Amino acid sequence: MRALCWNGVNDLRVETVADPEILNPKDVILKVRFTTTCGSDLHLIDGLIPTMREGDVLGHEFMGEIVDVGREVTKVKKGDRVVVPSFIACGQCWYCQHDLYSLCDTSHPKPELQEPILGYPTAGIYAYSHAFGGYAGSHAEYVRVPFADTDCFLVPDGVDDEAALFISDAAPTGFMGADFCNIQPGDVIAVWGCGGVGLMAQQGAMILGAERVIAIDQYPERLAKAESFGAIPLDFTKLDVVDALKEMTGGRGPDACIDAVGMEAAGTGVQHAYDRVKQALYMETDRGTALREAMLAVRKGGTLSILGVYGLMDKVPLGLLMNKGVTVRTAQQHGQRYVPRLLEHTQRGELTPAALATHRFSLEESPKGYHMFKHKEDGCLRAVFAP
Amino acid sequence: MNAVAEETKLDADARAAVTIGRSADELRALWLRSDTQSRIWSHFADVTPLDDRVAEWVAQGPAGGEYRWRTELANSGPNELRWSSLDGADVANAGTLVFRPAPGDRGTELHLDVRFDPPGGAIGQAVSKMFHIVPKEIVGKALYKFRALAITGEIPTTDPQPAARNGGTDR
Repeated sequence: MRALCWNGVNDLRVETVADPEILNPKDVILKVRFTTTCGSDLHLIDGLIPTMREGDVLGHEFMGEIVDVGREVTKVKKGDRVVVPSFIACGQCWYCQHDLYSLCDTSHPKPELQEPILGYPTAGIYAYSHAFGGYAGSHAEYVRVPFADTDCFLVPDGVDDEAALFISDAAPTGFMGADFCNIQPGDVIAVWGCGGVGLMAQQGAMILGAERVIAIDQYPERLAKAESFGAIPLDFTKLDVVDALKEMTGGRGPDACIDAVGMEAAGTGVQHAYDRVKQALYMETDRGTALREAMLAVRKGGTLSILGVYGLMDKVPLGLLMNKGVTVRTAQQHGQRYVPRLLEHTQRGELTPAALATHRFSLEESPKGYHMFKHKEDGCLRAVFAP
Repeated sequence: MNAVAEETKLDADARAAVTIGRSADELRALWLRSDTQSRIWSHFADVTPLDDRVAEWVAQGPAGGEYRWRTELANSGPNELRWSSLDGADVANAGTLVFRPAPGDRGTELHLDVRFDPPGGAIGQAVSKMFHIVPKEIVGKALYKFRALAITGEIPTTDPQPAARNGGTDR
């Protein structure tokens, strides 16, 4: 089959690789219908995440049709149109039983690579380095999906392929970030980042009853998309975000702040320059502009919900959190918990994930798609590949 | 004992623990099933059961060398399993697996301890240099795989289809 392979820093090529096969009895093989770029892929492409190997097939956000099933698969069958969360979860261990699917205790084939870094291994994930399992990704004609009965969700009528695609990752990640905020009537939620995850966090906060949602970014087309969803746009290059948020909340500050940016945060000023230099020197992989702003802006006793992907960032101003009594909630997406309700919200038109797809490419054109996505050319929010 | 010898001694002792949401009886039976040992130790050695108590182990060294030994299961109490290598082992070793009830409804704690006695004793060759894998990883990965097997009936794998090409190296 054809697949988009990582060959080194900023070196992506579409190659012919072996077709995936059923390896374990609960596996299925999916014919990929749609697969998309994610901001977290840029960390891999830029070489900020170790344990990538030449030939790794990229892609962790996808949907498709089941074409082969393992002998112990009982709930899904050949021909089913399904969406699959990017973290692989068995559904049976203590963590899965407690809805903490991205912490699954049994789905990581290489826990020894991750345990020294994190203390304990997480769930495996498609195409996110070998420290996260070394599973082949979805930017390919076919992908192997383990634990299919837990991880494949039937896409109902009324949800088209392109909407279902983002219920693999951007939508559950964003929605989970809003869910972390324990939103009460009257709450104001500020979201840093108007990429796929940030926009879904904003819609999620609205669904969960936020009074107002404030969307922070610098790209006009992304801010316009947030505004079209009903959020109040804020361009951080044109004003002081923390001052603006105070002004907009009568001096209280947002009840919860969601960081949907992560280690690649753009920013301005001295702190940003300092972060960027350290990152360039490999002293640290993370730039934390958005996170620092969110920590300063959040109201006393509020919630900080962190969705952005971070490495091992040092110099976090913990005093801000401690003295202000801030609750921090964070996780990689526990997608299996949220996908069923997100499909329903989409069916009812309350969630509009298809709006994230701005550019479409064949698999052969996918390196060009990543280039556009990375450099945000032509207002590219998400590049979608149809293998 | 000098620092090098101390380090080598620590290196020869490998311990890990996991908690599995199953009863000790069930886990003990699974551990003793004939195909379980070959499946959970495959990252370290090929294990072939010869009978109910004796197994043949072949571990790979880093430069293509092989180490062979046989282990025999000893008589032990209901809450533990003990085994040790028989005479003639290339690398003498002994293992203990202790089952303890976990708090609340969390099932059973498994504490695995494998002690290697490389030729030359405590100041001999470090175990992590003899094999292609460090001792902590030998036992930690075996327990991870055993937990996966106990809970899901399968062991997570990407072999023989890793994402990377054969021969790919970490970057």
